[in-house]
Amino acid sequence: MARIVILGAGIAGHTAALHAKKMLGKNHEIVVISPNSNYNWIPSNIWVGVGKMNKEQVVFPLAPVYKRKKIEFHQALAQSIYPEGLNGSKPFVEAKITGPERNGEVERIEYDFLVNATGPKLNFAATPGLGPDGNSVSVCTSGHAVEAAAKLEDVIAKLKAGQRQTLAIGVGHGTCTCEGAAFEYTFNVDHELRRAGVRDLAEVVYITNEHELGDFGVGGMVFSQQGFQTSSKMWTESLFRERGIKAILSAHVSKVDPAVIHYELVDGTIGELPFDFAMLLPPFRGVDLKAFDASGADISEKIFAPSGFMKVDADYSGKPYEEWVASDWPKTYRNPLYPNMFAVGIAFAPPHQISKPRKSPNGTLIAPSPPRTGMPSGIMGKTAVLSIKEILKNGESGHIPTASMADMGAACVASAGSGLTHGSAASMTMYPVVPDYQKYPNTGRSLDDTYGEIGLAGHWIKLLLHYMFIYKAKARFGWFLIPE
Amino acid sequence: MNDPMEDINRAPLPTEKTLKQRKNVLMQLMRFAAINIKMIKMIRKGHHPME
Repeated sequence: MARIVILGAGIAGHTAALHAKKMLGKNHEIVVISPNSNYNWIPSNIWVGVGKMNKEQVVFPLAPVYKRKKIEFHQALAQSIYPEGLNGSKPFVEAKITGPERNGEVERIEYDFLVNATGPKLNFAATPGLGPDGNSVSVCTSGHAVEAAAKLEDVIAKLKAGQRQTLAIGVGHGTCTCEGAAFEYTFNVDHELRRAGVRDLAEVVYITNEHELGDFGVGGMVFSQQGFQTSSKMWTESLFRERGIKAILSAHVSKVDPAVIHYELVDGTIGELPFDFAMLLPPFRGVDLKAFDASGADISEKIFAPSGFMKVDADYSGKPYEEWVASDWPKTYRNPLYPNMFAVGIAFAPPHQISKPRKSPNGTLIAPSPPRTGMPSGIMGKTAVLSIKEILKNGESGHIPTASMADMGAACVASAGSGLTHGSAASMTMYPVVPDYQKYPNTGRSLDDTYGEIGLAGHWIKLLLHYMFIYKAKARFGWFLIPE
Repeated sequence: MNDPMEDINRAPLPTEKTLKQRKNVLMQLMRFAAINIKMIKMIRKGHHPME
């Protein structure tokens, strides 16, 4: 009997846990370690952040699901991995209990296979004054989103009282990812201001590290529409113009004071953006996880990239951006030193940016990090489990499955306003997520499968996905029939 | 300092007809079906870890 330990219970980890139980649970032990007691369907935090959903609609307790599925659940924060064990023991993880019982105690959980799906550390500290403990709000967690909604309500009240307000929305550092979420929040806020009848008194400014609108950290997209190739840049600019939203591009936010965002542009210009409300997403880094060998020596540098994310089967040689190829991206998500360790979702270290990285004359890096959330995360989580299943059955000579982001599509529905008859969203598909210029020389992606459209239908799809994926995460009847 | 705001004044604006189509429930029901088909097709193409 093998013990499969999964760190994290987000989209990647929770998907891996449910599939592991279904595929391997009869003969093997499945263990989940997560510091959080709740599952959070993060894509819908946007709606919590504008007060259209409450927190309870986007979270549910994990323990009852895991109890019903007979998955062992430890509410604990993984702190150290011992992939060789210690003093002759099996490999294990040390985790600090965060649940109400035995809170603060450190426990040792042995494993045969480890799936690292910890997600990111929200690195608000990278920018002074950034985040809910500073001078801006966030929608990264359901709690943050509740706070954002309350502050937005205050701003709307001031607008109704006739006071002009500036709302700055975007990313809070030059190396942030998840620009799509910032885009969604911008348009949802715009939508709510219009619904409240106060849009004319509000200035909405999108501040981003993207070099062009529509980049979304994936280098933008090219669509085929009505006989022409069009770009996500043109498409997004059109939406910004239509809604009267201003944009500051190629920006590194260096500091957030109580009412002023300080930023540097890629041309070296230093600027200030006064605000009354600021929702700025933080940059991500790997969680605070260390690794030690059998002698107790710290081997974290061998296991993790400088960003703190776990190294997997990618090309980390650090070649120039212009030289990268799609095959640099990981396929199996196995750690090269300890192949019984996998890192999936945000937890794996990407080999390089997808969007072109740029530096200001002052040497400040302004480079959107590659998104690896949502659908790709779920696919990676399932792929890790399929690999473990294959290894358990046929050993290393078996056919280990692959799921490179350069051979994986993604569907993304970016909400632009909520409401069954007046909502809208940008529905996008792209294939592959990581452009492959050898396979698709001009555009990097398949024109047949890369697509974008704005309309009410997109809102219905986003709403459908909300209910469908929460149903799936609750492991209700037939959950496995819903694709990642 | 120059205006830091991106100049998008020449970005194409949707026509009234397009804006209405984006909100028209009947038309959007058809688009709902069409987008779902596109998404399912794309998911099938890029969602086959064993192959």
